[in-house]
Amino acid sequence: MLSARRISKIYGTTCVLDAVSVDFHPGEVVAIVGENGAGKSTLLKVLAAIEPRSGGEAMLDDRAYAPRTQREAERLGVALVFQELNVNRAVSVAENVMLGHLGDYGRLGFLNWTRLRADAQAILDRIGADFSATDDIAGLDLGQIKTIEVARALATQPRFVFFDESTAFLNHDEARRLMGVIRELRSQGIGVAFVSHHLQQVFEIADRLVVLKDGALVGTYAAGELTEDRLYELMVGRDLAGGLFPPKRGEQGGDTVLSVSGLTTQGGVGPLAFDLRRGEIVGFGGLKGSGGEAILGAVGGSVKRSAGDIRLRGTPFRPKSPQDAWQAGIAALPGDRTGEGIITEFSVLENLTLAARPRRARAFSDRRRMRAMADAQVGSLGIKTQTLDTPVGSLSGGNMQKVVLGKCLAAEPQILLLNNPTRGVDVGAKSEIYRVIRALADKGMAVLMVTEDLPELLALSDRVMVTRKGTISQSFEAGADLDEEEVVKWMM
Amino acid sequence: MDDVAQPKTDTAGRARGRSAVDRLRNWFPLALLLVLCLGFGVMSDRFLSVNNALIVMQQSAVLLVAALAMTFVIISGSIDLSVGSMVAISALAASALSATLGVWAILPAIAVGFLCGAVNGALFAYGKIPSFIVTLGTLVIFRGVVLLYTGGAPVSITDRDFLGFYTGRTLGVPNTVLIALSATVVAAAILNQTVFGREVRAIGGGERVALLSGINVNRVKFWIFVLAGALCGLAGLLQSARTMAATAQLAQGLELDVIAAVVVGGTPLTGGVGHIRGTVLGVLIIAILSNGMNMTGVDPYLQNIVKGLVLIAAVFLTIDRSKISIIK
Repeated sequence: MLSARRISKIYGTTCVLDAVSVDFHPGEVVAIVGENGAGKSTLLKVLAAIEPRSGGEAMLDDRAYAPRTQREAERLGVALVFQELNVNRAVSVAENVMLGHLGDYGRLGFLNWTRLRADAQAILDRIGADFSATDDIAGLDLGQIKTIEVARALATQPRFVFFDESTAFLNHDEARRLMGVIRELRSQGIGVAFVSHHLQQVFEIADRLVVLKDGALVGTYAAGELTEDRLYELMVGRDLAGGLFPPKRGEQGGDTVLSVSGLTTQGGVGPLAFDLRRGEIVGFGGLKGSGGEAILGAVGGSVKRSAGDIRLRGTPFRPKSPQDAWQAGIAALPGDRTGEGIITEFSVLENLTLAARPRRARAFSDRRRMRAMADAQVGSLGIKTQTLDTPVGSLSGGNMQKVVLGKCLAAEPQILLLNNPTRGVDVGAKSEIYRVIRALADKGMAVLMVTEDLPELLALSDRVMVTRKGTISQSFEAGADLDEEEVVKWMM
Repeated sequence: MDDVAQPKTDTAGRARGRSAVDRLRNWFPLALLLVLCLGFGVMSDRFLSVNNALIVMQQSAVLLVAALAMTFVIISGSIDLSVGSMVAISALAASALSATLGVWAILPAIAVGFLCGAVNGALFAYGKIPSFIVTLGTLVIFRGVVLLYTGGAPVSITDRDFLGFYTGRTLGVPNTVLIALSATVVAAAILNQTVFGREVRAIGGGERVALLSGINVNRVKFWIFVLAGALCGLAGLLQSARTMAATAQLAQGLELDVIAAVVVGGTPLTGGVGHIRGTVLGVLIIAILSNGMNMTGVDPYLQNIVKGLVLIAAVFLTIDRSKISIIK
């Protein structure tokens, strides 16, 4: 048993973990839940010695557990799978699995490839991987790459494996497979702890729930003890009035603003046809690569259209670049917050005004107007930042996401394209973002959303379109009774 | 819940402790400049004089204008290795046409620079060839054009109007210095006050973000190199006025001093950040280092070694390693 007692972590003057005590048992899956900034990742990172702890102690089977480096923690039997994908795409699957142990396979300075491959394959087999140690990494999907990382953790022969938000970048299917791997580990007597924002996953797989809030332990609960609503309350510290999602609009949408027919895009998606009306939220759901993102890209000018017709309020619209779309009043919130949405080193002000360029005639940027524009977004979206000049990178994930949304809204669009609008965002910020999106739609904004978050797809969209292999396999009209199983069925 | 200071990762917590270091880092170029001035002032009594100050400024006018060009390019995350050759080809244009155009030989100089920049910009932005490679090629090509035209012989400037104006002084300050300073003010205004300047920064900070935010990245990239070319054209004119001739070897290797000046001034090669103010300081540091070492009689062969050490030391002390996890 690994038991952590009064673990603290302090950065500068900020206390990130405040005397948290948790036990981890072999053969048990523990979910660490809480909002962004609650200290979930920090707890796991401190225990895996990725980060030094500031206070407290830990025992591993009645012996003091105080590793100073990640390597030492691994030797003692505690391994961590990072949130980010850390696979080196230039080398083989086998080398990636055994990275860190390659020295064990040396013979007179040469690698013993046969033994390396065999050992890597043995680990992959153990977790039921559907690819082999000799496969080309380029052909693997994100879920399989995540599996490599799990295998790498297993190569250290751990007794406890920690997952730091490992499903954040995985789609429904890939996440499901990872859940299977976690079950497999549990059945082999390995203790698992994982951080996830997907409460569905948490309820599906965890035996025990550890709830953190603002760095302190709220409590430890058996999985059956809590309802989803009760868990939200514990995480946020208050009742989410009216639930996570705002009520849907009652009546049918207004005039058609965007009409797509026969659309095929580069990469073989299509043909697709759908309409988007003023004041409605249309949600696209489907496996990654099934078409949703390509549709957003084609309308937003970042993906090439190879055939078909897009009409904007009746007139043909052929965007050749994102610039064309923005100028036509179409704002796009990309799926990768820090890689595509905002420039983390830049200030909140600079990011919020990135897309809202003045009319072309005005070469000089009007600082007062930019400030007023940024102020308005900070106010209306409730972005928590010390000043407008604070670098965006120092904000929490939820606030960063609000800045991306604010950047879109500052351009005063009529159509909003959202790619996974609340990915990696905590529950509190999620519910705020949902309310903002709904309020925009109520004021006439037409919203096209692609999401891998099933509850979000079902509860936020007025109409749901399910994509499969590049085409729309089923659409559910406004007011239709949406059943999760029914929707998922059309994705597979 | 208040998550203003909430440290999702370690960024927020460390940011506060870092601000003091950040401030020191920002002041480093100025501090280095002052230390150099004091040091050389103590070692040579002629160093700290108005006359020497004017000499330093006159010597650094070409470097300054070329460094302004490079600042834009580097902030956008690219590099322009052809600045020295663009200066030479523009100086040739000015020299060759000085007899007919007199003072107005400035126009062909800038026009030639503009065209060279357009070639660089088009190949880079629309031809999708990395700027390092494009300008490595044009570095040789532009220099080749100068060699071809001059056949290796210098093209002298004899026009009285031209020499009278460009080697003259206004209120005791060399006209070339005034021109370089005007260019600096204009460059700072473009970088800080215009939409174009913001777009340059955005591209350097995150090209994909800029593209997806509706910035016409290719067009901005093209114009960055055109602007750089035009500024190098002006630098070429200043160079021709200083040497009163264009030669095939003119401004050879200038790109190294230019990059050094920009980087020493605190503009990192990673793009997104940087300012004209720093570049001015960087240029003065490079210029004063040379001038001071000459005045204090440092062995010319040793001078290069010292310059290289200052460049490495400056970057060693100012680079913000917390923002760059991998240094290439």
